[in-house]
Amino acid sequence: MIALAAATHDAWRHRALYVYLLPFALLTAVFGLWPIAEGIRVAFLDSSTALGEAPDYVGLANFRSVLGDPAFVSSLWRTLLFTAISVVLNLVLALALALLLAHPLLVRGRALFKLAMFLPIITPEVATFIVWKWMFNQDFGVVNRLLTDIGLPAFAGLTTPLGAFITLVIVEAWHHIGLYTLIFLTNFQLLDPNLDEAAQIDGASRWQRLLRIKLPQLRPAITINTVYALIEFLKTFTVVFVVTRGGPNFSTNFISYDAYSLFATGAYGEAAAIATVLFALVFGLAATAYWAMERDAT
Amino acid sequence: MKRMVARIAVYATASLVSLVFVYPFLWMLISSFRTQSAILSAPLRLWPERFDLTAFYSIGQIGGDPLGRFVVNSVVITLAATLFGVCATGLGAYALYRRPNLPLFASVRYGFLLTIMYPNMMLVIPLYFVVYHLGLLGSYAGIILSVSQVPLTFFVFVQFFRTIPREIIEAANVDGASEWAIFSRIVLPIARPVVATATLIAFLLNWKQWLPVVVLSTTSDSYTLPVALISLNSEYGINFQATMALATLTVLPVVVLFLITQRRVMDGIVAGAVKG
Repeated sequence: MIALAAATHDAWRHRALYVYLLPFALLTAVFGLWPIAEGIRVAFLDSSTALGEAPDYVGLANFRSVLGDPAFVSSLWRTLLFTAISVVLNLVLALALALLLAHPLLVRGRALFKLAMFLPIITPEVATFIVWKWMFNQDFGVVNRLLTDIGLPAFAGLTTPLGAFITLVIVEAWHHIGLYTLIFLTNFQLLDPNLDEAAQIDGASRWQRLLRIKLPQLRPAITINTVYALIEFLKTFTVVFVVTRGGPNFSTNFISYDAYSLFATGAYGEAAAIATVLFALVFGLAATAYWAMERDAT
Repeated sequence: MKRMVARIAVYATASLVSLVFVYPFLWMLISSFRTQSAILSAPLRLWPERFDLTAFYSIGQIGGDPLGRFVVNSVVITLAATLFGVCATGLGAYALYRRPNLPLFASVRYGFLLTIMYPNMMLVIPLYFVVYHLGLLGSYAGIILSVSQVPLTFFVFVQFFRTIPREIIEAANVDGASEWAIFSRIVLPIARPVVATATLIAFLLNWKQWLPVVVLSTTSDSYTLPVALISLNSEYGINFQATMALATLTVLPVVVLFLITQRRVMDGIVAGAVKG
């Protein structure tokens, strides 16, 4: 009783802060929490009645229909494969790029190189993905022309299932890698130079120093980047929507695009069920990755 | 000598990598000035034969809508969402920083953290249901409110507030200053740079938004530039040159803004991402 009175008193004394918080709290509640709850609710509704006055609750029917749909199941595995490849590729390349940009011989122009890498992150991806789609075009595309000009075989690009999959890996890496690189670079500034010097004096090779001295100290950046990349690639959508539309032959039909296709045809219940599954997946994997890396750290 | 070779190698690699990142933008710009047949014969050309403006005239009307409408929609939606979102997020982050232990404050924080974990692309589908219930489908308000909260700016603000020494605020508190006085006389004046950073980041990220606009619009009346670009890409997929011209118009404003403000934006985004 006394505690409640004290809390109320405290709240009243700081009522101005509640006013400050109100718009933020409302935005979070109405356009964040409500949609999440609504998404979960709709996952249990019959699609045709979902937006009506008296929606029909169908229990787990949507989940059952989705999990029994070969298109969804294959999109799930495809998404996991794409994510696994992309996370590893992006982290390794980002680390290499960060090492390059932090190279002591690179005195001038570092800002310019960082700028170039960051450009894809802030520009509308709809536009840049369309440009990439055309760059991979077999007639117009610069990619094939460049390959044949330097004597390499032409790349089938978006016309074959495997080619389309690889294309999306490349385009997505182009889009995201700058951020991961810059996160590594911020971590570099926190490295202890004494350790590296000591190892150098002890005669450690460049590789040994990278693997044994630098890498362990880069754990914060590796953790952040892994979690970010996991979340980012699991929900890969825009690039599919713009470049391949899930094709050819469903080879780039990822979970989020599968959900969107269902949503666009009015299968609200099934789409919401997939959204719920993906949410659980993203949440579970990101939490596990974070927990595993934090546990190793201590 | 060996050092010289090494330095050249480092610079050459860095330049090559940078070229990979920048080239699509160059190609887009050059292609918007070249005819289709010219590109077919020499796709790699780094400078247009002549500046052919046909494509830019041809996108004056897109699918029966004037280009101007998309430009106005983009500017209005982006600006409104940015201003409202930055104010709400900044004030909210401030309140949570000032007294994190007030009743309900922790719930708001956890609620917010939960929403940002939900894949934002997936949120759009249930968002459609919510906006439908609110009766805001097809309205500017529905779109603006839906995109206004940019999570990254929250962390940019949080990080800034942490750097304010608590003693300053406690001293004012002891002197009997009201919350409003503390906020307007002490915090706001030193918060100008962070407000600028958050506004810039929110503007850049809101300009990119396309899926909420597609899903929450009922007609093309509320389409923005990226959405117009998508419809051009799917309906008139063959009109390559026009697509490049519209892509150039969509990208150019943010590239210019970014080049002017580069460090502020990069440091802000990276810091927000790391601390978040």
